[in-house]
Amino acid sequence: MILALVLTAAHAMILLAISPLLVGLIRKVKARLQLRQGASVFQPYADLVKLFRKEPVISTTTSWIFTAAPFVVFSSTLAAGLLVPVFISHVPLSFAGNIIALVYLLALGTFFLMLAGLDAGSAFGGMGSSREAIVASLTEPAMMLSVFAIALTAGSTNLSTVVHQTALLQGIVTDPAPHLMAFAALFIVTLAEAGRVPIDNPATHLELTMIHEAMILEYSGRYLALIEWASALKLTVLLSLMANVFAPWGIATTPEPAGLGIGLLVYLVKVAGLAVAIGVIECMFAKLRLFRVTDLLGVAFILALLGLVFFYILRS
Amino acid sequence: MLSEMGSQLIDLCSALLLLTCFAIVAQRRLAACVDLFALQSAFLAGTAALVGFLTDNHHVYVTAAMTGVVKVIVIPVVLKKVIQRLNVKRELVMNVNVPVALLICGTLVILAFFITRPIIPLGHVLTRDSLAIALAIVLIGLFTMIARQKAVTQLVGFLVVENGLFLGATAATHGMPFVVELGVFFDVLVAALIAGIYTNRLQDAFDSVDTSHLTGLKE
Amino acid sequence: MTDWSVTIAAAMLVVAPLLAGGLSLAVRRPSLLHVINLTSMGLLVLAELLITRMVLDDGPLTVLGASMYFDALSVFVLFIIGTVGLACSLYMRSYLDEQVARGVIAPNRLNLFFFLFHMFLLAMVLATTANSIGVQWVAVEATTLATTFLIAFWRRRESLEAGWKYLILCSVGISLALFGVVLVYYSSLHVLSDVGTALNVTELLPVADRLNQHVLKLAFIFILVGYGTKVGLVPMHSWLPDAYTEAPAPVVAMLAGVLEVVAVYAILRIKMVVDHAVPASFSGNLLLLLGFASFVTAALFILVQRNYKRLFAYSSIEHMGIAMIGFGIGGTVGTFGGLFHLLNHAFAKSVAFFAAGNVHRRFRTVDIGQVQGVIVAQPWTAMALLFAGLALSALPPGALFASETSIVTALTVSGGGENGAAALPASLAAENGRMGLVTVFLLSAVLAFGGLIYRVTVMVWGTPQQDIVRGEAWTAGHAPMVLLIAALIGFGFVLPAPLRELLGRATNLLLLQ
Repeated sequence: MILALVLTAAHAMILLAISPLLVGLIRKVKARLQLRQGASVFQPYADLVKLFRKEPVISTTTSWIFTAAPFVVFSSTLAAGLLVPVFISHVPLSFAGNIIALVYLLALGTFFLMLAGLDAGSAFGGMGSSREAIVASLTEPAMMLSVFAIALTAGSTNLSTVVHQTALLQGIVTDPAPHLMAFAALFIVTLAEAGRVPIDNPATHLELTMIHEAMILEYSGRYLALIEWASALKLTVLLSLMANVFAPWGIATTPEPAGLGIGLLVYLVKVAGLAVAIGVIECMFAKLRLFRVTDLLGVAFILALLGLVFFYILRS
Repeated sequence: MLSEMGSQLIDLCSALLLLTCFAIVAQRRLAACVDLFALQSAFLAGTAALVGFLTDNHHVYVTAAMTGVVKVIVIPVVLKKVIQRLNVKRELVMNVNVPVALLICGTLVILAFFITRPIIPLGHVLTRDSLAIALAIVLIGLFTMIARQKAVTQLVGFLVVENGLFLGATAATHGMPFVVELGVFFDVLVAALIAGIYTNRLQDAFDSVDTSHLTGLKE
Repeated sequence: MTDWSVTIAAAMLVVAPLLAGGLSLAVRRPSLLHVINLTSMGLLVLAELLITRMVLDDGPLTVLGASMYFDALSVFVLFIIGTVGLACSLYMRSYLDEQVARGVIAPNRLNLFFFLFHMFLLAMVLATTANSIGVQWVAVEATTLATTFLIAFWRRRESLEAGWKYLILCSVGISLALFGVVLVYYSSLHVLSDVGTALNVTELLPVADRLNQHVLKLAFIFILVGYGTKVGLVPMHSWLPDAYTEAPAPVVAMLAGVLEVVAVYAILRIKMVVDHAVPASFSGNLLLLLGFASFVTAALFILVQRNYKRLFAYSSIEHMGIAMIGFGIGGTVGTFGGLFHLLNHAFAKSVAFFAAGNVHRRFRTVDIGQVQGVIVAQPWTAMALLFAGLALSALPPGALFASETSIVTALTVSGGGENGAAALPASLAAENGRMGLVTVFLLSAVLAFGGLIYRVTVMVWGTPQQDIVRGEAWTAGHAPMVLLIAALIGFGFVLPAPLRELLGRATNLLLLQ
């Protein structure tokens, strides 16, 4: 019991601690690739501290949703993060929910963000919300399918079981081809869900293109800090999902200190690697026009679907 | 005959090829299609080298090297030159829009798996999936040729078909007899060059490489 | 006759076109080009006759380290290549000289023409003689590459279009055939240990009954579709009428007369392997299906043609369909009829396209409506055209009558299956179904007959427009037409003994006896 509590607390701390770092890392990679010096990778921490100190300004036309939304977003994302194995394959909270719960916890955050964007009644907020709705409606099926594809191999929708089973395998994974399809799908979904190029650009406030930034345009102070942190957290959760569900090698399968240490180290390397990959992609591609986003997410959906079908074909 | 790990790696490489196929189908820009083809060929060369390593077949190394030279460097460079000369950057016209095209390609992949199903448990094959994936790539390449109208993209489709065939030959059978592979390479190279010459002549004759203009011959 | 003489003859088959191709690029004088061409063709025919002798005496033989394989079937195809090739070379003499004189072809482009022509020949010879079906594939694809610029030789918009369509469709089709070859290799690897020779026909045939059935079935479908594109079978035929309209006449004669036969041969080779492992009705039914589709479709298109080159193109599709039906039914009568039909069609179609080329040069149009009175303008050509039309409609003086009759006979009596290998599927073998097929066959034949004869007579009779030059001098180009016609009529009455022996043996090979 004590062990479970300690592990869960450590899990939450790690997620909270590294999420700004990942954002910083992506920015740094982008800067270096563009031959800029770039801010320190720890800059996001400083930003958060600064925002938490500032007094929030809240529009008089808003309702309670506006103030509640940051907390809902933050806590739902963190809760989702606690379902994803990070350094040990069996998370103590695994009884609380499976893949479906994970997807819906993330969706809950998105939903409240959209509501909040509409709540202030500004033109940009509504525009951002409607765009986010399009993207979310396209990403969620792809996300579900891609994780289901993996769930089928393990024979369970519980993420801990999935990771545990896969980590104990002898080879790489059971079926590499569908695995890769599902992975590619989830990668695209991650780009979309975390609002990265080529779906959204987190570094701009250009009204024609912004999605995520448009929704949170009205926020300031600690509310903004919470939302920024939550979005960094969401990115971390999705990267963890990719790192550990698709390539759980090195993760601790038993709660022994040495294994846990290795597990944590390997996890950090994997997540950092994915973050660098995202940084590189952001440099290589331009943001897509909104109407072209559907093409990309279509690719993700088809890939995830194929991954799923492959499992049926290969295993039947 | 092969370690589980080895065959899985080959499956993984084949899947990478299939992924690039989807990227080509979803890609609208001509130059990017050529880049993706070069990437796919690079994966193919990697797969071939891997097969050569795992089965200790030395001539497969040679074909891997030739793939690297011909399909990753020579043909893409030639195609880039052609594109530059034609001065077409974008291909906005597609007979089938992207999501539908992707769905069709997905169906083709499933079809390929069903077609090859009866013959997969033969045992001798290196891997379970690579033959099916090879067929899927062939079918998607064919579909690309139908769905795209530009002469260059049709050529890319043809080259994708060839890549699929080559994958089938290397991954499923450790490579064909060496003479045959040499011949196939020669044919592909010549075909690509000839098609390049054609696009130039089509451009001169029609002021366009849009093959939908090729409607002069009818019943 | 010793071993080395066969080796030399076999090497000659390859070296002659190769050397001629190289020389064609080097020399400058057009007349020299013709000399090279005729010499190499002559050597080819000589070597081919020598090998035929050997095969008839000693049975199938392999030469040059088992890289080349000769049996009655491949020698038969070589015979067609040699004969029609020689006829084309003779025809080209007058045809090309006139085109150069008229300034249609720049003299320096003749080198390219001859070079491609020789490469085309080389590729066809290789496709026919290669022991490995992999090398055969490479050679068949090489024929596409060699001919695409020959088809687009005039560089008009339409020719470019036809050449591009031909290149793309045939390359793609043939890619599918390569997948089939890969599958055959995949199955043969299980049985044969030596990877280097696992695609050789000589290795495959003895062990064919141990190959995996599923793989072979799949492979056959891919190969049939692939090489079927090259044959021009419906529904993969759409490049064919365009290419045949746009290409220079000697090239079309080669395409229609020889290349189609080579592609059919490639299908038959695989069919032999497949039939060992799978009941012959499997491949037979597929051939029947494509054969009937081609026959019926082509017959309908023949009815509505207003362009005489397209007319003959569709007639090619029709006759390839008929030959396929013959091979599909199988049995001695059907298979023999199919092979014989290939030979006769090659001769008749060459004559038809030679004549069409002459008409085109005089009348400058391919529209049937604007061509009248060929008999007045070009009496020799008119006779050839008329005869080719009659022969291609399978009317008696030509041997196509004999071969088509034997195919329809086989169709009528099929199910009896003289040797068990030949049979229609059980459902179709029922009296009604069989009679239905025969009816469709005869109906299509009548349609094609009517369409062809009507159009040809419209062209031949009447009086030409005022501006058409009248009268025709005898040239070297007329000799091959007359010779081929004579051969066709002769075959209709009596088949020379060696040829009959060759056909009989090839038939037995195909029936796996």
